[in-house]
Amino acid sequence: MNTKKTANLIFFLMTGFGAASLVFMTAGILVTLVVESWPGIERFGVIKFLLSRDWNYAKESFGAARPLTGAILAAVMAVAMATPVALGVAIFLTELCPAKLKGSVALAIELLAAIPSVIYGLWGLFVLAPFLEKYFQPLVGKVLGDVPWIGGYFQTKMAGGLNLVTASMILGVMILPFIASLAREGFAQVPEALKESAYGLGATRWETIRAVVWPSAQKAVMGGIIMATGRALGETMAVAYVIGNRHGALESLFSPYVTVTSVIANEFNEAGPIQMSALFYLTLALFLANLLILSLAKRLLRRT
Amino acid sequence: MEPSKAPQELLRVDKLRFYFGAHQVLKDVELPIWGNSITSLIGPSGCGKTTLLRCFNRMHDLYPNNHYEGRILMEGRNILDKNEDLIELRSQLGMVFQKPTPFPMSVYDNIAYGLKLKKITNKPLVRELVEKALRQANLWEEVKDRLRENALGLSGGQQQRLSIARSLAVSPAVLLFDEATSALDPISSAKIEEMMVELKKQVTMVVVTHNMQQAARVSDYTALMWLGELVEHGETTEIFTRPKKKMTERYVAGHFG
Ligand SMILES: Nc1ncnc2c1ncn2[C@@H]1O[C@H](COP(=O)(O)OP(=O)(O)O)[C@@H](O)[C@H]1O
Ligand SMILES: [Mg+2]
Repeated sequence: MNTKKTANLIFFLMTGFGAASLVFMTAGILVTLVVESWPGIERFGVIKFLLSRDWNYAKESFGAARPLTGAILAAVMAVAMATPVALGVAIFLTELCPAKLKGSVALAIELLAAIPSVIYGLWGLFVLAPFLEKYFQPLVGKVLGDVPWIGGYFQTKMAGGLNLVTASMILGVMILPFIASLAREGFAQVPEALKESAYGLGATRWETIRAVVWPSAQKAVMGGIIMATGRALGETMAVAYVIGNRHGALESLFSPYVTVTSVIANEFNEAGPIQMSALFYLTLALFLANLLILSLAKRLLRRT
Repeated sequence: MEPSKAPQELLRVDKLRFYFGAHQVLKDVELPIWGNSITSLIGPSGCGKTTLLRCFNRMHDLYPNNHYEGRILMEGRNILDKNEDLIELRSQLGMVFQKPTPFPMSVYDNIAYGLKLKKITNKPLVRELVEKALRQANLWEEVKDRLRENALGLSGGQQQRLSIARSLAVSPAVLLFDEATSALDPISSAKIEEMMVELKKQVTMVVVTHNMQQAARVSDYTALMWLGELVEHGETTEIFTRPKKKMTERYVAGHFG
């Protein structure tokens, strides 16, 4: 009985240690961020920093408004583009795909997730950006460019193809496997008898997916989308290559812009002391924004 | 449990063989299903009861590599025919599973779902049909004030009657039950048995059960299966009291001791 107790205790300590170390790491990161951001916090304040569109090296005046806007816009656009495709993939794999093909399609999707993000960045820089600039941007400009009020956001105003849209597309491709595999798990968990009940009433495949597969898997899919948003917000390398990293007003979705991570990746090496602190401050803001999104998402998922 | 006066043959299983891939599960099954009556399928686990039941509504067609040989005749046509319209067929032969399968929607929408599939959308009519189906399934009194609540909140027995009501709403000719009461408590099972007997006026039922007492209580006809073959079929009282085959006698006796 004693050995059993000891074994239990050791097991408890080991797993407890694992769990505690995660909490400590997160806490440690948070503390480091706050400490390093402190000069920036003192100098720029909180509200002012979050709302300021400044990024002026000479005046040493830095604000988070643009990098945060860029990060959020890029992530939201990426999720908006990736989700329908990912859902299609997941539904195809669980409900429609012939068994013979299943393995290879699933593998192809998983492989997408295994490609290092630098590769995505380089591919975006050398392949996707020129392609979009040549074929996609003129098309969008022609179709949406003259819409009153918002038309300007769809016109190409700067050459190069490095911009918010390109960055979102790269991000979209990167998070696609993520959403797809979580959604697929959600769909695969729907009991066979539930689907058969729908078929048994004379439902078609599509009607069955809509009435029982989708509603039962909704939560898992929402979870996947939210986690993917978090990932897209924090993704660095690929975005740093293709966003253009230009601190300026966002005149068009096809203009170079900044995100939190692109600013950090591009400026960390040569930042002065107060700029450095501002970079940490930016990271802190992103960290907290992510935390906010995750906790909102958790609450949302619990309620429905 | 007298069989109705002039029974009509609604379905006839004719030399049916069924294969999962190369694995033959049903071996030349011959079985008539009489209209407005309850036919029980009994037999040891793994003998092919579920497999046979799922031939009637072509459920096997949802999965690859399965194939049928032989015929199941319904009003003169072979429903195993390649050109059979499965959507239409399945709305004529409802199925109730071992575990209740409420859809993740309200009680009302669960019942109305099948009607929606049939393009019945006239609100007063839908409401009337929903109530009728719930009454037939002996569920109306318990849920009439909770129609808008999620069906997942009902008890297990209520969920099973909901599944039955959902099938009934599209007025099928046949209801197929696959051990539909085996996961329920005795009181819930009794309610469903009672309902089945009532329902004979409108539908024909084929009931897979491993509960001999249930087969004896509710069914007009009983069929014993064994290793994919149909051993004996006849009126329930005959099967249980004067079986023709030695095997039937042994099986029925073994389960009644
Ligand atoms: N999907 C399947 N694929 C292959 N074999 C199956 C499948 N389902 C059932 N079987 C086999 O068919 C036989 C009959 O099964 P089943 O009809 O479920 O029996 P019962 O309902 O009488 O218990 C069993 O030998 C079982 O292993
Ligand atoms: Mg079975």
